[in-house]
Amino acid sequence: MEQYMMLHDYVSNAAAETALFYLISIFAIIMSVGVISDRNVIRSGFILIGVFGAISGLFLLLQAQFLALAQVMIYAVGITLVVVIALMLTNPRSEKDTSYENEPVSKDGSPISPFQRLRLIGPAFVGILSFFTIYTAIRSESWIASGEQVSPDNVRVLGTALTTTYSLPFEFASVLLLAALIGAIMLAKAERPTPVIEIGIDE
Amino acid sequence: MSLQVQKNPIMVNVAYAGILFVCVCGFLGLLSNGKTTDWAMTNFLDLWIFAVAIVGGVVAISMGARSPFIIASGAVGIFVALTATQDTLVRYLSLSALLFAIGMYGMVKSRNAVRVLMSIELMLNAVNINLIAFAKFIDPAEVKGQLFAIFILTVAAAEAAVGLAIVLSVYRNTSTVDMNKFDLLKW
Repeated sequence: MEQYMMLHDYVSNAAAETALFYLISIFAIIMSVGVISDRNVIRSGFILIGVFGAISGLFLLLQAQFLALAQVMIYAVGITLVVVIALMLTNPRSEKDTSYENEPVSKDGSPISPFQRLRLIGPAFVGILSFFTIYTAIRSESWIASGEQVSPDNVRVLGTALTTTYSLPFEFASVLLLAALIGAIMLAKAERPTPVIEIGIDE
Repeated sequence: MSLQVQKNPIMVNVAYAGILFVCVCGFLGLLSNGKTTDWAMTNFLDLWIFAVAIVGGVVAISMGARSPFIIASGAVGIFVALTATQDTLVRYLSLSALLFAIGMYGMVKSRNAVRVLMSIELMLNAVNINLIAFAKFIDPAEVKGQLFAIFILTVAAAEAAVGLAIVLSVYRNTSTVDMNKFDLLKW
């Protein structure tokens, strides 16, 4: 309880909250750019751990203690482990990821046309457009924040809701996980050569 | 005198930046409808920051800077400039939108299938930030946003497992993870 009160006091101080928020979020932004643009795919898989850690810090800042720890356990350990194992199995070093080089010339050496250059900046256009759309939607809405604080025992509220009101989605989530588990095993299983059944062959 | 014009990449990029800037200025002029520029300046400051950042990025690319550096500095600059005077909730939502956009950029841009999956995880995380910020600021009594975030976490775990299994299976058949070479369903 004392631990929680410490977190609560820290978060309710506006200046400290703002400073921590900007520190963590700039860290997260730079790390996520590193994830999508590092030349070495395995290294970007490890940078992903840093992004998830930073986001878990943001969850702590938002007083979601359970989700912060679940984030570290599921994302930063589980999913990243699966990603890195998949990278090791697919051996990405054998082919060079050329999608992040500025290509001033085309393959045969001639300078590329303006239209090809437009095609090169297409992904950046998609990213900028999606950010600007979402940001405009956020800005044009006047959010009415309720001035209350998150209750100190929000984990209890969460658990109660999960086992009473939302028990059906909870059960469905377990079914989904089981289906995903079986499906992943079926897909990733190494295919054996089909046994040739030889019946009735006499010398 | 040949018609072959010597194409200078720097000049082409600067020309693009100029066209973009003129378009944004014209759009703002259309919106301001003959009123003073102060009005456009105060009401569309976000758009101005955005336009300046994009033009700066294009000019920096033409100067030969590496694109990850430009993306990182541009994203941090836009984020700080846009949210410095906002409410706390809008800050969190803007961070979420920015991480989502970075994830989408990576998903469209990268050619390695595993990196596409990483970008999708990034986007799911951005959505989680959104929901938890709503849980704190809009609905603090019964934190429903955190509940939905738990379900998103579950679906993300399932999605990662199945997606990576599919990537492994495709790699076993085609011995490549390049998105441009995945044409198994073509005939």
